[in-house]
Amino acid sequence: MGAELGKYKSCVSARSTDKAILAGAQDGGIVTTLFAYALEEGIIDGAIVAGPGDMPWKPRPMIATTYEELMAARGTKYNISPNVSFIKEATRSYGLDKVGIVGTPCQMQAVRKGQLYPIGLRDVSDKIALAVGIFCMENFPYQSIVQLAEDHAAMKLESVKKMEIGKGKFTFMSERGAVVPLPLKVTHKYEQPGCHVCLDYVANLADVSCGSVGSPDGWSTVFVRSKKGDDIWAKSVAAGCFETKAIDSVKPGLELVTKLANEKIGKNQKTVEERKTFGVGKGLRIPYI
Amino acid sequence: MSKVVEISPTTRHEGHSKLVLKVNDAGIIETGNWCSITPVRGVERLAVGKTMEQVPKIASRVCGICPIAHTLAGIESMEASIGCEIPQDAYLLRVILQLANRLHSHALHDILILPDLYIPGTDTKINPFTPEEPVRSVAKRIQRLREIGQTIGQIAGGEAVHPSNPRIGGMYKACTPRAKAKMYDLAKEGLVLAHQQMDFMIAVIRNFHKRDWAEVGGKKIAIPKDLGFHNQGYMATHPFYGSTSLDECPTWDYDRFKEVRPWDWYMGEMEVDLADPSYPIGGTSPVGTKVNPQMEACTGIPMYDGQPVEVGPRARLAVFKGYDEKGTQGQNIAREMEYTDSLYAMLNALDEYDPSGPVLADEIPCGDGSMGWSANEAPRGTDVHLARVKDNKVLWYSMLVPTTWNFATCSAALTGAPWQLAEIVVRGYDPCVSCATHMIVIDEDNKLVAQKLIQ
Repeated sequence: MGAELGKYKSCVSARSTDKAILAGAQDGGIVTTLFAYALEEGIIDGAIVAGPGDMPWKPRPMIATTYEELMAARGTKYNISPNVSFIKEATRSYGLDKVGIVGTPCQMQAVRKGQLYPIGLRDVSDKIALAVGIFCMENFPYQSIVQLAEDHAAMKLESVKKMEIGKGKFTFMSERGAVVPLPLKVTHKYEQPGCHVCLDYVANLADVSCGSVGSPDGWSTVFVRSKKGDDIWAKSVAAGCFETKAIDSVKPGLELVTKLANEKIGKNQKTVEERKTFGVGKGLRIPYI
Repeated sequence: MSKVVEISPTTRHEGHSKLVLKVNDAGIIETGNWCSITPVRGVERLAVGKTMEQVPKIASRVCGICPIAHTLAGIESMEASIGCEIPQDAYLLRVILQLANRLHSHALHDILILPDLYIPGTDTKINPFTPEEPVRSVAKRIQRLREIGQTIGQIAGGEAVHPSNPRIGGMYKACTPRAKAKMYDLAKEGLVLAHQQMDFMIAVIRNFHKRDWAEVGGKKIAIPKDLGFHNQGYMATHPFYGSTSLDECPTWDYDRFKEVRPWDWYMGEMEVDLADPSYPIGGTSPVGTKVNPQMEACTGIPMYDGQPVEVGPRARLAVFKGYDEKGTQGQNIAREMEYTDSLYAMLNALDEYDPSGPVLADEIPCGDGSMGWSANEAPRGTDVHLARVKDNKVLWYSMLVPTTWNFATCSAALTGAPWQLAEIVVRGYDPCVSCATHMIVIDEDNKLVAQKLIQ
């Protein structure tokens, strides 16, 4: 394939140097630290992040304009947070001029499409200052997460401390120390079907994209993609926000990222092909990158 | 002997209208007919049966210059019909939105009238698009004022054009303290520019009216000292916002209003027998063209106390601030004076606005079909929307928009002016013709009499 990791200027394995961020981070605390740095330096004046919702583990998009608000949104919640829906409001009643946004690959596609064709997004395009993408194999509806936690992992969602997908397992960790790894074979049927036509694993259209895959535990793999992303990343590293290692010096390294990206694209390409002939005499419309 | 000349279409204003003028041998207008020929939008018919939330959003689409006025007037007429009072902070956001709209609309009007005016001390007309100074910096200032108005509108109202934030019962979203500070900073910047712009415009407007002649189509046309004078009354409901039937002391009275048919007011069928091919933008209509303003006019003629009235900046200043300058000059100067007024009022509203206050009424009644009206002081005059709402659905809806009020008044004000300057008189009203075109006219017996026009 060759294009599965998208275009990027550099790729490193990195970890935040902020202990407070790392304490509640999913992996290397990249997104929170990068936004905190950008906020402090005035590169952005607010960031759209997946904040805590009204139910446990249900994210709700929120606009963080302070370090404290960013801290409240740390960590991955494996279900849908419609961050792009806030992108216009951020420039309106929140009065932001430089917006940061974090999202999955599909959300990065939406942001870029919105910038290119700003229908319903008047005066928004030029206000996206930093778009951070996260690696994504697939997402889950909230009801699936409830089912997986309560039925399969046998723990109340309120008592789940952390969720993690890695090494072929969807792992639930409870506050009382229980660790339940569910094989992905079990969780597949709970996935959001719409994800099965997505051909982007590593947020190809973000300024900076990151995820745990490819780096050791507690570290994240970071792709720096755009000129803007490169500039901000270089400054934040120079300011001592991150410790970094060359990606080829860590295990499992880019090899695994490439493998998983190809797995996702290969698998979803099949769904795309199937949909083309779905129905009688006509296919379903296929989203494209 | 009288001759008939037709200028169609008129230019440098919003919408599509034309002038049919009966002039004497000296070219002075005896009877002026300024009529809208924009096709009927039919918003009032579309509204019937829709929910009260939908209708103001549809009504807003009648025009892109003052959609904010239409949205606010539409929403407030619904609120007046159902009897819903909105929280103070929602009202303040609406005031800010309203004034932001006024700021950018007035700035746009400056661009439209500048080509009529002269650089003082010269016989050179102002071309707002020239890269040369001093005009260039004026054009940039106008654009910045428009930008400020639109950005503030965007923050308070969700969108600069067709605002999404206002809703029945208040507003969807309150603005954050940061957004409030941003609007305040923008308004402060705008205030400095508005003072400069007002001073500049008043100087060039006064300079124009002091001149003996203006050049139109290569000819020198004498400028009368009473250009655009009329003896009709003024109607205004508030210095900058408006009034509704819910108010303790409403400043508009439904019982004093009546709408008549255009053919009681305009001239009947005639033939053009005076033409000037050198008149700007392609000349006037050729001799022999059949005209029939009675049938072609797509508006009703609204009357207040049995007479057409003038609405707009001059009317507001005359009613509330004792302003007494008449004619086109007075009208244009009044508009410039509103620049700073609107920014001061906006700053006051911003000072008062509390970002943590509620912006939605606790209870929004469904309506019992009673009539409610809202008069909103749009940039170009009083925009009255009337509605009857029952069980959330709109039973009846009517829009009396600013330029509709001004059509007949302006037609009267044309009398005595050289026909070549008629468009300058028209532009003094800052007409917005497309929304003025609304045409379901019924006579005293509630019989539809406008059928012929929409066939």
